[in-house]
Order: sequence, then structure tokens, then C-alpha cells
Amino acid sequence: MSTFPSSHLRLTAVDTETVVRIELLGDLDYDNADLLLDAATAKLAARPRLRELHLGCAGLGSIDSTGLSVLLMIRRRTDAANVLLRLEDRPPALDRLLTITGSLDHLTALPTGAARETSGPGESRADTEEAIPARPTGPDSSA
Amino acid sequence: MVTSTNPATGVDVQGGSLWSRAPYPVLIADLQGAIILVNEAAGALLPRARPGTPMTDAVPDWLSSAHAALRLPRQGAAAEPAVWSGRVGDRVFEAHPTVEDSGTVLWWLVDTTDHRLAEEALRRERERTAFLGRASNLLLSSLNLDRCTNVTAQMAAEHLADAALVIAPMRGNRLPIVTCLGDGNPVASSAIADPASVPGLVEALQGFPPVPTRWVDPRTVPDWVVPEGFGAPGSIVVTPLPGHGVPAGALILLRRADGPGFTPEEEVFARLFAARAGAAMSAARLYADQSAITDVLMRELLPPSLHQVSGVDFAGGYRPSEDHERIGGDFYDVHPAGTEGAPSLVVLGDVCGKGLEAAVLTGKIRNTLHALLPLADDHQRMLALLNMALLNSHHTRFATLVLASAVREGGSVRMRVTSAGHPPPLVVRATGEVEEADTRGTLIGAIPEVRADSADLFLAPGETCVLYTDGFTEARGGPMGDAMFGEERLRRVLAECAGMPAEGIVERIQMVAAQWVGTGRHDDMAVVVVSAPRSHHLSAVNGHTRGRFTA
Amino acid sequence: MSTELRSAPRRTADLEAALWDAVFAGDEYTATDLVQRALDDGADPESVLLDVIAPVQFKVGEEWAANRMTVAQEHAATAINDRAVAALSLHAASRTVAGRGRITVACVDGEWHALPARLLAEVLRLRGWRVDYLGAQVPVPHLIAHLHRTGPELVALSSSIATRLPTAHATITACQAVGVPVVVGGAAFGPGGRYAELLGADAWAPDARSAADRIQRDPLKRPVPGHQPIDDLPHLDDQEYTMVTRTRTSLVRAVMRGLDQGFPAMLRYSDLQRERTAEDVAHIVDFLATALYLDDADLFTDFIAWTAGILTARGVPAHSLPPALRLLAGELKDFPRATRLLRLGIDQLAAPSAHSVPARNHP
Repeated sequence: MSTFPSSHLRLTAVDTETVVRIELLGDLDYDNADLLLDAATAKLAARPRLRELHLGCAGLGSIDSTGLSVLLMIRRRTDAANVLLRLEDRPPALDRLLTITGSLDHLTALPTGAARETSGPGESRADTEEAIPARPTGPDSSA
Repeated sequence: MVTSTNPATGVDVQGGSLWSRAPYPVLIADLQGAIILVNEAAGALLPRARPGTPMTDAVPDWLSSAHAALRLPRQGAAAEPAVWSGRVGDRVFEAHPTVEDSGTVLWWLVDTTDHRLAEEALRRERERTAFLGRASNLLLSSLNLDRCTNVTAQMAAEHLADAALVIAPMRGNRLPIVTCLGDGNPVASSAIADPASVPGLVEALQGFPPVPTRWVDPRTVPDWVVPEGFGAPGSIVVTPLPGHGVPAGALILLRRADGPGFTPEEEVFARLFAARAGAAMSAARLYADQSAITDVLMRELLPPSLHQVSGVDFAGGYRPSEDHERIGGDFYDVHPAGTEGAPSLVVLGDVCGKGLEAAVLTGKIRNTLHALLPLADDHQRMLALLNMALLNSHHTRFATLVLASAVREGGSVRMRVTSAGHPPPLVVRATGEVEEADTRGTLIGAIPEVRADSADLFLAPGETCVLYTDGFTEARGGPMGDAMFGEERLRRVLAECAGMPAEGIVERIQMVAAQWVGTGRHDDMAVVVVSAPRSHHLSAVNGHTRGRFTA
Repeated sequence: MSTELRSAPRRTADLEAALWDAVFAGDEYTATDLVQRALDDGADPESVLLDVIAPVQFKVGEEWAANRMTVAQEHAATAINDRAVAALSLHAASRTVAGRGRITVACVDGEWHALPARLLAEVLRLRGWRVDYLGAQVPVPHLIAHLHRTGPELVALSSSIATRLPTAHATITACQAVGVPVVVGGAAFGPGGRYAELLGADAWAPDARSAADRIQRDPLKRPVPGHQPIDDLPHLDDQEYTMVTRTRTSLVRAVMRGLDQGFPAMLRYSDLQRERTAEDVAHIVDFLATALYLDDADLFTDFIAWTAGILTARGVPAHSLPPALRLLAGELKDFPRATRLLRLGIDQLAAPSAHSVPARNHP
């Protein structure tokens, strides 16, 4: 597995047919939060059968309001695609931010569309592992 | 140098034929000042110079005096021969003497007229370059229009003319004028005048298309063009101040009737100066326009200065993140109560992101809340409506904020505070205890459903409620360079502030935080302090109960 | 504490004493009331500012240095004095017509002691100048933008803390570069304003009254552009200042590590005490850097003596100072000017009279 470093945030994705896991390493802030938004949006667009999007937060450094805004936008898009968003391995600083801003429940709730069967970890089979380039070339997803 | 014989080794004075065809005028005279030899070139130049004639009769005074000076007893034979110079007719010559032991002097005359002219031109050129350089330095160092205009008038009057007028484009029906006389000081005035009364001025003021300098007949100009006490103008030129798309104005130069007029060369030079002045003035004008616009925006967006409202003390402080981004993501407002006995509303918030986008969202929030003021008692409803107003399908930029209603009750202040995704306010008790207000809620503007729980507080006299943004708690710095300021430190600072006036607390928090971050980067920091005044003095001093203690 | 007052004391000294009591007690109402009543009774506003409020503020600083006032009390007292100034400026007796030119009054960036500048602003206003008072902690870009916009005749720049002098120098140079002369004041500029000239200020004044007199007596000339600040301080060529400033954090850490190993008392320090010690070390580094900037040893040795005095006044023995200086000297051994300053500092602490509290141009 290779990774492409960005200035402060590195993303590594592990994809299966139905589950994508993006591992975050570094800061999710004003300077590079859009990197994650672009990556997540590209995955949602590229995999119509996607059921779950997991963001691995163990390596998350600091997160600012723009970073949180991006998480909220990803949540909005996973809801629209009826994909379950999971923020996994959340460090205490992230939990604290989500608690203070009152966004923890919203970001960790089941999709608003319908209660649906979620795929268990046993179902996911890693069929690709790739690093996400610093600037994905997918459709403009910032708006 | 044209010599076939070294004069120092001796000259065959009697055999003058050697000199007769020399291309330079040569003149030999003896100790007594009588001319011995005149070559052809010298004869042509000085027709009265013949062998036997005294120098005094045949050559210009400067040369005969030079000869006389040389005849005086010399200090040593090896003294350096001097060089004299003077006019012969309309030309300028240098005279180089070679002195024989006998006292006979051989004068070489060298025509230096062209050389002189070239030197003079070079000197003038250097002066002008230096002047233009100085002008550029002075003009470009300031973006203040008045100063640029004054410098232009002053430099023009000092170096280009006897008096100078800088005319700015019309303001209404008035023509703004800065006048400067000689080495005097510039004086600003304005005239109700028609620029068309001065030939070429209208075109010059329009700034486009480019127009050449105009010579103006001094007899035809209106009175306002001639400065008071100037006397009769002999010549006047009007030069546009080119403004790079913005009309910068025109420069009028005047010279007195008894002095020299403008040469074409001087006119070209004036144009070079005007080009620099015009560029500087139009830059200053653009800057002034832009900063006026920014000022208006700032007044709208920057937090207000606070004071006492209906017996409750308010103080606020705001330190934006970076020097060049003066409008940041933090904001606060105090809305005084509409009616006596009703609470005032404080809003302090933090908008996600920075720069213009954040500023736009900030403006929207402040305006919306202002419109919702009639509902100020119902924080939940206000927040729900604000959330609806801000929800946007294109983005999830959000704000976190605290609403705080405060009203004086006796000597105390009753408050209701509601956090919408924002760090809860801290309450500083008179004892120095610091409590966190028990309020939690959802951020605003990104999630369709928001909820918030309010907390009711009671501030005894001297007690304080502190609303702050996380720019303080998340500031990194300290003596070791990378520690987070954190809530604990903020609480410790506030504990020391028990009983202090509201402004003092704001100043204290800001100062400690600023020292903490030092020269490091930091986020916006905003703080609002609401205090119950410490003293009961408002009603205790006769006749002084009106709001005279507000700062 | 509040007493009912029918009229303010007539004599300046009595008024000062009464104001001091009110300020020390944190009683802003009595403080503002005293000022207003004094003016009602015909006191001269400038005299109230400079002979009553200014000495009270000076005493606040002294009391703090002597540990008879906490930092928070100092802020409270200053805030109250500030209100007293505000009350004065709103009083009818202070109403003037701005018949003179325009002046900008500001504090150097990082300077929080705004009251001296505020007093000057009020005095100038009373004397008929049109004053823009920008307050504490003015970033240079804001100040310059203000100068471009308003084109004042001069800037009055205040700084009380010596470590702000490099910033003050940058500010002075920037103002002059846009053609505006600068008069400076405040304790930072040293006894007799010795650093003012060094940093190229156009004028210096020891207090608000002489500053106002100076400005009035003789207009400051427009500075000629093209001045190079490095010409003021050729010794900066050796880069010692730059090096110490740039490595400030690692210097502090190295000294703290060294103290941990070589200074047993540190092991018993609480986190808060450790942070205070680190702050003290950081201050030493800041003053060292400033002394290098100005090439002025007294600035450093005075600060060391002052710190020792302050620590003693607070019942904290200054034992950790000499080892801290020695550790710094070890870190900076390749820098001759810094080494010499640190040696002088160590000698200063060894001298018997080290613990007096000299004039205050320290935080």
C-alpha cells in the first residue's frame, strides 16, 4: 500500500464493492479539508452499490470548523446516496468538538432515508487498496 | 593633443614657423606682456594680436590677467602651470601656458565650447534625474491623496516654475485647487470656476484621451489661476496629470513676466514629472476610494464598542486572526432592550471558515438575528428560525453561537444563556469560583433539526458572565511554544478577575492570550463580558443617576 | 466602598489621594465621580489628567511591582483609571474645538499598557488637535493603512515594555517610509529616551505634557524617504539577534531540561510553577534578544536585577536565575555578544545590590 503525502493530510482508501474505508492521517482543517470531501464524493459517485463509508479517524490530528463542515457535507451526501457513514476510532478531541457543537448525534445516526440493513465487517472483501492522490480528478464536488 | 615638440625642452621662439600651422591657436608673449608670436589660428581668432602688440590691447581681459599673473615671481620653477578659461567672442576657450625660464610664455588656446555645453547638459540631466527620483520617492511613499497633491504642487513650484497649481477633477461645481508659490507651502482651496475658462484644462482634467501640454496666453486666463501676490505671469503651461484610467487632475505652471519662459526642453521635463505625480495621485485616489468602501463594510461587520445598558455592564474584545484579514469568522453584538425592564440580548458567535465567505455568513447571521429581535425572549425559537434561514443546499458552512439575555434586577443581573454548538459561557463568582453555564445545543446552519437547552443564571453585584470563542482556548503557544491555552488556563485567569470591571476582564483575557501566542499564528479571538455592576452607586449619588458612567 | 461626596477635594494632592483610594478599592463610581466633581468645581482638565490620574496610574505599577497588588487588581485599577479618563473627556469642561492639525496616537503592537497613550491623546485633544486614538496593540499594517487614509501630521507611538523595541523600530521606520514623522514615549525607550534616537524616532518626550509641548513648539519635519533601518543598528549584521529570536522556544526548552537535571528544587515544582519558571526563562531570552538588537548591555542587566527584585518581593528566591543564565550561556557559547551579556547578567546577580527594583520598562 502506497500513500501520497499532502501538506498536512494523507488519505488512504480501502475499497470493497459495498464498503469504502478512508483512513485519515493528519489535520482536517481549512487548508486541506476539501481533500477529504473530494475523495469521499468521488467514492460515492464511483460506486453506486456502496452501502457504507467508513472514515478512520485514529490518525486524525487537529480538526477545525472547516473540517467539521466537510464532515457535515459528507454526511449530507451519504444520506442522499443512502449510504451509512461511520466515523471510526474517534480521538477524544474529535468527540469533544462533536459534543460541543451538538453534531455528534447527527453525524453518528443511521441514515435519515430509511433504516436499512447494514453490511457487517465479514462481508467486506478488500478488492482494491489505493492511495488517494492529493487532488482527485473527479467531478467538481465542492458545491 | 597635438604637439610635435615637447615645450618643456625648449621652444625655438625665433623660428616661429613651427607653430604657424598648428591647428590650435598659439600665442607667445614675453615677460613684459608684449606679444612675440601669433600663429594662423590665433590670428584668425584674435585679429588684433600681432607681434609687438601688448597682450592687454589684443586679447580678452581674462587672458591678459592670466599672463600678468604668470609674470609675478614664482615660488619654484617647477610649479604646476594653471589653466585659465574664458570667452572669446561667443566661444569658450581654455588657455594652457608653458613658461620658459626667461619668463616668455607660450599660450595654447583650446576651444572648449562644445565640451562645456555637453557637460552642462549632462549636469542638468543628472539634476533632473535626481529630481525625478526624489519626486518618485516622495510621491510613492504615501497613499494619502492630500499629501500626494501637496507634494506635487510643492515640488513643481520649487523646481519647475515660480508657482504651481494642482487642479483635481471637479467635485460638484467646485474645482479643488492646491496652490504653491516658489519655496512656500502648499495651500488647498476650491474655486467655483468653469475649467473651460482655461484653454486645455477640460481636456487635461478628463485624463483621456492623452493631451499634450498646452501653452496658455497669460492675458486670457481667469483670475483664480494666478495666485495672490504672484504678480504678472509671463508664461503659463497646462499639463495633464495622467491617471491610468482614473482622472488625476492637471498641473498648471506659472512663471513671472520678468523671468525666463519655459523652453521646450523644460516643458518635456514637466511632462515627465507630471506622469509620475499623476500615477501617484491616482493610486492614492483609488486607495482612498477603496478604503472608504472597506470602512463602510467594516463598520457593518466589526463588533461594536460596548458599554453599560440599562444597569448591566457589557464589554467586548475582538482580535482577528491575521493582520491582512480584518474581517474574520468571530462576531458579537449587543441589542439593547426595546423596553424598560426587558432584557438586552448579547450574541457571540464563530463562523466556520475565514475571509470573505465567512464575512458574508457573519453578515447574514447578524442581520437575521436583528430581524428576529422581537422573539429575543425565546432563544430556541430564534435559533430554529436562524437555522432555517441559513440552511443551504450548496454548502455546510455553519456557525456556533451563544445567545445571552440579561436584565437588571435590583443590584443583580438575571441572565438566560443558550449555546448553539458553542463553548458554554463561564461565570465568575464574587468568590473567584468559575462555573460553566449548563447549556448545550446544536450548531446552526448545516443540520435541518436543531435543539438547544438554555441555562438561567443570576449574577450578584461584581459577578460576571464571560462569552468567548475557541480562538482563546485553542491558541497555541506559551513559553514552550506549542501548548494549547486550554479551558483550564482560561478558568485560572478568570478566577483572578473576580470583582473586576467588565473592560478590565476583557483586557486581561486578551492580554494573557496575546502573550501566550506571542508572534505565532492564531485564530480569531472574541470575548464578551456581561457584569452586574459592583457598586450600588447608580442610585446612591444624588442627581447623578443618568447614564453618565458609560464609557 | 463608596462614600457620598458633595464636592471633590480642592488640592491636587488630596484629589490624587482620594482617586488612589477609589482606584485601589476598585470603586469606579467614586473614581469617575471624583473626576467629574473636580471638573464641575473648575479644575483644569489637563491638570486632572496629568497631575491626578497619571500619578495614580504610576503608583498602580509601583504597587504591583512591590506585590501589594495582584495583576488582576492592576488591570482593575487601570480599567477604572480608564473610565475616569472617559468621564473627563465627556465632561463639558473638556469640550474643545479642533483647530490644529491631525495626529495619530497608538501603542506598539504587543503593547497592552494603553493608558499613557490615552492620556496623551486626551491632552492633545484638549489642546485643539484632531486626534485619532488607535489604542493598545496596533498591528503595523493597520497603523500604516490608517496613515494612508488620514494623512496625519505625525504619529505618537507609545511603548512601555522594552521587549517591544524591535517592533517599535519596525513601526517607526514604516511610518517614516510613508512620510509621517514619529514622536515616541514610554518607559520602553529607556532612561532619558536613550533608545528613541537609536531607533530613529524624530522626537522623544518623557511624558504626555512635554510630548504635547514638543509637538506644539516645533512641527516635526517630514522624514525623507529612502532610510534603511539596518543603518541605525549595524551590529545586527552578526545575526545574533535573529538567531536568538528564531530559536527562542528551543532555548527555553533546553534551559528547562538543564534546570530539571541540575536544579533539584525543580523536581518538587507543580505544573503551574514549572510554567511560571518557563515564562521567566522566556522573558530572559526576550530581553537578551532585545539587548542584542540594541547592543545595550544595561537593558539586560537592569532586567535581571529587576526580575530578581520582583521574585524576592513575591517571596520566591531567585536561586534559579544564575543557573538559568549559565545554561543559556552554554547554549549560546558561539555567540560572543550574547555570551558577554549573559556573563554580565550573572555578575549582576552576584553583586550585593542586585535586588533593587529599577525603573519599570518590563512587563
